[in-house]
Amino acid sequence: MTAPIEIEPAAGPAAGPQEGRGARRGALGYALTKLGGALLSIGMVVVATFFLFRLIPGDPAIAYTRDVPLTPDQLALLRRQMGLDRPLPEQFLDFVARALRGDLGTSYEYRRPVAELIGERLGPTLLLVGTGLVIAVSLGLWQGTRAAWNHGGRLDRFSTGISLTLWSVPTFWLGLLLLMVFAAGVGPIPGIFPTRGMEDVDAPDGPMYLLHVAHHLVLPCITLVAVVYAQYLVVMRSSLLDEIGQDYVTTARAKGLRDAQVRRRHAVPNALLPTVTLVFLHIGLVVQGAVTTETVYSWPGLGLLFYEAIKGPDFAVMQGTFMVLCVAVIIMNTLADVLYHVLDPRVRSA
Amino acid sequence: MTRLGGRLAALGLALSLAAFPATAAQAVPAGVQAVQEPAEGKRIVRLGAIQAIDSMNPFLAVRVISTSVHRWMYAYLTTPDSKTLQPSPDLAESWQASGDKLTWTFKIRDTKWSDGTPVTAQDAAWTLNKIMTDDGAKTANGPAVENFESVTAPDDRTLVIKTKQPQASMLELPIPIVPKHVWEKVPDIGTYEAERYPAVGNGPYIAVEHKKNAYVKLMANPAYWRGAPKIDELHVIFYENPEAANVGLKKGDIDWIGRLAGPQFQALAGDPNIVQWNTQGRRASYLQLNPGAATADGEEIGDGHPALKDVKVRQAIHYAIDKQALVDQVQNGLAVPANGSIVPPMYKDFFWEAAGDTRVTFDPARANKILDDAGYRKGADGIRTMPDGDRKLEMRFSIHTEDPIEDKLAQFLTGWLKDIGIQLTTRKLDSNKFTEETGSTALYDIAISGWSVNPDPEEVFATHLCSRRPTAAGEGGGTESFYCNEDYEKLYRQQLAELDRPKRIALMKQMQEKLYTDAPIIAVYYPNNLEAYRKDRITSITPIPEDKGILYGGSGYWPVYSLQAPAGPAPSDDDGAGPFTTAVVATAAGVVVVFVLGLILTARLRRKGDDDRE
Repeated sequence: MTAPIEIEPAAGPAAGPQEGRGARRGALGYALTKLGGALLSIGMVVVATFFLFRLIPGDPAIAYTRDVPLTPDQLALLRRQMGLDRPLPEQFLDFVARALRGDLGTSYEYRRPVAELIGERLGPTLLLVGTGLVIAVSLGLWQGTRAAWNHGGRLDRFSTGISLTLWSVPTFWLGLLLLMVFAAGVGPIPGIFPTRGMEDVDAPDGPMYLLHVAHHLVLPCITLVAVVYAQYLVVMRSSLLDEIGQDYVTTARAKGLRDAQVRRRHAVPNALLPTVTLVFLHIGLVVQGAVTTETVYSWPGLGLLFYEAIKGPDFAVMQGTFMVLCVAVIIMNTLADVLYHVLDPRVRSA
Repeated sequence: MTRLGGRLAALGLALSLAAFPATAAQAVPAGVQAVQEPAEGKRIVRLGAIQAIDSMNPFLAVRVISTSVHRWMYAYLTTPDSKTLQPSPDLAESWQASGDKLTWTFKIRDTKWSDGTPVTAQDAAWTLNKIMTDDGAKTANGPAVENFESVTAPDDRTLVIKTKQPQASMLELPIPIVPKHVWEKVPDIGTYEAERYPAVGNGPYIAVEHKKNAYVKLMANPAYWRGAPKIDELHVIFYENPEAANVGLKKGDIDWIGRLAGPQFQALAGDPNIVQWNTQGRRASYLQLNPGAATADGEEIGDGHPALKDVKVRQAIHYAIDKQALVDQVQNGLAVPANGSIVPPMYKDFFWEAAGDTRVTFDPARANKILDDAGYRKGADGIRTMPDGDRKLEMRFSIHTEDPIEDKLAQFLTGWLKDIGIQLTTRKLDSNKFTEETGSTALYDIAISGWSVNPDPEEVFATHLCSRRPTAAGEGGGTESFYCNEDYEKLYRQQLAELDRPKRIALMKQMQEKLYTDAPIIAVYYPNNLEAYRKDRITSITPIPEDKGILYGGSGYWPVYSLQAPAGPAPSDDDGAGPFTTAVVATAAGVVVVFVLGLILTARLRRKGDDDRE
């Protein structure tokens, strides 16, 4: 073999073009463009939200008071309280003004500010979905790397098969199954996990409280991870497979680097890029919670709030959670764009 | 923070109890153990609820779970008797109506709020006046005081309510009386959350902690005037998912679930620890037949099929329905076929059952004959047409989307109506649209509905009044049928003013007969009340009414007050017993696994470092 051994071939991203002042101004301009786009999107979300939720058939006042006897006077009062008696343009301006101030309206069902309700549910959701996301990403990337490196092998077929099977399983069904087996106990398997929620009555204080919550977190978290980690696995696997055929990998091998080194130092960093988009997109969706998982385990998060709002129907809450979700996705997408710019020189030169 | 608050509150309560041992001992009748032996644990009952608390403020709460908890925390003027369901003394010891039936005088019981302050008629007057005068306080019980002229408390023991019109249902005000000295300090009732614990009340239980969307913890009120409940704590634990609640009951995380759906109830069969409670329920399920909808001003609205304006067609449809088959096939036998109207048989006094000639049985031949005689001729396709035109008897059946029970019912109904020459198409609507089309715009022919009835059924009768139809502007007034009948209206007004119970019941039975024969609605069945509890955790509970009644979701506090439970394990040094230890072990195991994984990873990284140095 006559491998041209000249200089250490650095992995793609490190070998960026020389950065001067012009480039930096370009970076700033790029960030500002992205930011402007994001703000525009948020504005459109606000407008779309308002009109979308007014398109829902039915009168919110009547829907809310279903099965509750009301006199026409009281109905009129309710309309006034909900601001439904004013003309649509006025309602819209009021809605925008309030939204800018962070006021998402008042829940008809709870008689409390929507922003407050969302704030209350954010913590449990971040805990559940955040933990789930970290585990799912780590597991998916690790398994995806392994699968791609040994592609076609038994390990590849096995791990990809398992993850795709779990991916196709309905979350609701898997959650209930885990609940019945590991919370209630079946045969020799003891039921060691709680059947609901984030904490029980008379939860312990101090550090023991953290353990108490962690105990409650196990089953919902496993459900969430089992269903989503396949995405990271598949994306990582295919993008690593793309890299394996590249010249620089051949070069690295030719240099006499160990197999593991070629993988870790050369192939994987390049293959990580597409997963960055996926991860950031999902961080945005974290806010939405995991509606189904939270419903099965009565986890007091945003997903449950949204689900209850739909059942209500509590338009103010639906509208508020919808908007928060959209804004979170937009912000995270913008961040991903900016990060891409930092990570990948090809984006910079483009 | 809330949890800590709850703890402090509980501690405060315990201290205040310790400070007044004499009061506590006095209030408790002989034979009831108020304070448990130090050697044994607490007697706790945990009720699973498939609904979270909407508000702990009784002026705002409308969900069943919240109003139930408020029934246990606050006294009402009267409460249904545990045997007869007739109004019986609660906060009001006795009462009297004036000769003109417009003035009610209540004698208020001499008892104490849980903070030691005496309960007076001022508390009741303040509560009712607040609802009458403050729009923010009307949310939960505004309609109940609509007819009130004035409410006053001439002295601490006397409450006087003057009404605009006679009101026979006065003795069933669904309003919890709150302590004036606590609530008058609230600046805006309409936005107040009432999350201060222990909450000051005078019912059998005191709420000491509420973790939103998770649980409410109540403790027995030792100063309760009937005597403290026989258990120490009552926990209401929220499950979003009924199946998960079932798992919780089987496992023993909760002790009792009320209001089960049929499949959920049946899934609990065969468990030796679980008692399945299957009794007559509060609800009537009925079909609504658009009788020619109009607004309250009499202006026609909607697009109901003209044939349904003809009472004969509505009666013929009644004859075509096999209610027993619906009970067996659609409700899996967990219901009673309806041979009456809107009041279910659980309310023995008010229930009216059709007999003799009035009784409609499943008789398609008779249904066909009625339609033939009325001139609705069958065409070649077997579908009838209107006598005076060529419009076919093709009708819509409106049901809710994704309701398997209504779906099944629609299949049966479609088949039966086809046999009598009426073509039925099912129309599935989301609940919003459904409410609008069947309640205010009248865009329906036949629809399904139902109503849960209170011990005083006045409200369900009111849903068929002319005045309940929407206004000209299309504002819904809460009609359940678009029915408007002069005789019915007259009977309703008579019962309003009839303070003699047997006479009032007779009037209400006439109204049911009217609805039955006129058939703007056709009652199909009365779904059973399905519940379940663990017999190892609840040793005794008395339903309301005592004879095969309801445990959860009925009116009043009797079942919850009557609860008896074995003492739990003696409190040990650590907070919780079994489950908590398991929790620690499980989590510790998890930590160990993570730690080992970390070690392996570190080892590998180190090896990688070695590689690099090569």
